[in-house]
Amino acid sequence: MNTTAQKNELIFGYSSGNLGEAKSLFVSMYLYLNSFAAKKASIFDNILADNFANLDEIAPRKLNYKDCIESTSKKNQKDEISGNLNPITNLVGNLENLKWKSIYKGFKEYVLPVNDGDTVKLIKMDPGTSVPLHSHNGREYILVLDGSFCDEYGEYKKGDMQINDQQIKHHPTACDNDGCVCLSITENDVVFFGKFASILNLFTFIKSFFK
Amino acid sequence: MENDKLIDLAAKIANTRDEKAFSEIFDFLAPKVNSYYLKNNLSFEQSEELTQEVLSAVWLKADLFNPDKSKFITWAFTIARNKKIDLYRKQNNKKIEDQDVRDFLYQHNNISDYEIESSINKIKQELDENQQKLIKMSFFEQKSHKKIAEELEIPLGTVKSRIRSTLNKMQKFLT
Repeated sequence: MNTTAQKNELIFGYSSGNLGEAKSLFVSMYLYLNSFAAKKASIFDNILADNFANLDEIAPRKLNYKDCIESTSKKNQKDEISGNLNPITNLVGNLENLKWKSIYKGFKEYVLPVNDGDTVKLIKMDPGTSVPLHSHNGREYILVLDGSFCDEYGEYKKGDMQINDQQIKHHPTACDNDGCVCLSITENDVVFFGKFASILNLFTFIKSFFK
Repeated sequence: MENDKLIDLAAKIANTRDEKAFSEIFDFLAPKVNSYYLKNNLSFEQSEELTQEVLSAVWLKADLFNPDKSKFITWAFTIARNKKIDLYRKQNNKKIEDQDVRDFLYQHNNISDYEIESSINKIKQELDENQQKLIKMSFFEQKSHKKIAEELEIPLGTVKSRIRSTLNKMQKFLT
C-alpha cells in the first residue's frame, strides 16, 4: 500500500484548509514534529499561493483601507504570543497531568476534546506493552509523539506517521525503554484477531452504542 | 505587484505605521482575498468581513512577515486560508486559539520557501494546464469532484482518476 501518497494527501488537505478539526490538529502536530512533512506543506502552500496571485480580482464593495486600520484599534493591540508551539500541549496542557483512562495493563488513552466525526486520542503504552493483532474497519492514523513502537512493518519513532486500513493486520509493541506516546485518529472501529478477539470485539461493539 | 515592492511596503507599515503604504497593499490584496472567498462559496457579506480581517491582520502583523522566509503573497495567502478555517470553527462555536501558534510557527520554523523553490518550479513545469486546473479547482477552490465533473463536462470517474494521477506526478517532486 502506498502510504506516502496518503500522507501527502493529508498534507495537501491541510494546506488547502479542507480537513475536519480532528485531522487538522493531527496534521499540525505532524508538521510540528516532522520537518520533512513541514517542507512538503510549504511546497503545496506555494503552489496554492500561485493560484491566489493569479486570481481574477473582485474588489470588495463596501470596504476601504481605513476600515481595516480602524477595526484594529478597537481590539487590544497585539495579543501576547505564548511560548508554547506544540499544538497538542497547547490544547490540553502537560500530558503528565491528564486524566488518562486505563484500557488494559500498560495501555492508557485520553480522548481529546475535539468536536468532529473522527475521534482523536492520545495513547500511552508502557515499555513492552503490545496491542493484540487487529485490523481496522476505517482508516487509522498514528503519529508517534514520544518513544517508539514496532510492528510487522518496522519501527516508528517520534514524528513518524503510520496509516492503516482494512488490508493491514498488525500487532504493535512499544519497543523503547520509555514506552510510547502516540496521537491516533480512528475513522471507525478496530477489529481484533487471536485468543481474546471475541471479547475485545464484543467490547468495541458495545462501546459503539455509546458513541 | 512585484515581490520587492510588496516587501518594501510591508517594511514601511511595520516600521513607521505608514498608512499610504498600507493603502497600496490594500488596493493590491483586498480584491484577491475577496475573490478567493467568493470562489470558495462564501457570501458577499462573509467575504467582505473576512477580507477586512485579513487586511487588518496585515496592518497589525506586518512585522511578522519575513522576506527571507517567504514571498509576501504566500504569507498573505496563508493568513486568508487560516481565516477561512477559523470561520468554519466559529460556526461550530469553537474557541479560536490557533492564530498565535500559527504566527509563532511561521516565525520560528526554519524552512525557507527559497530553499524549496526548485521543487515548486519543477512541479509547475511538470503539470500541464489541465492538471494545474484540477489542482486549482479541487484544492484552491475546494470544489467537490462532482462539481468539477459538471463544470468540465467529464465523467466523475475521470475526474477522480485525473486528480489521482496529478497528485502522483506532483509527489515525485516533493523532496
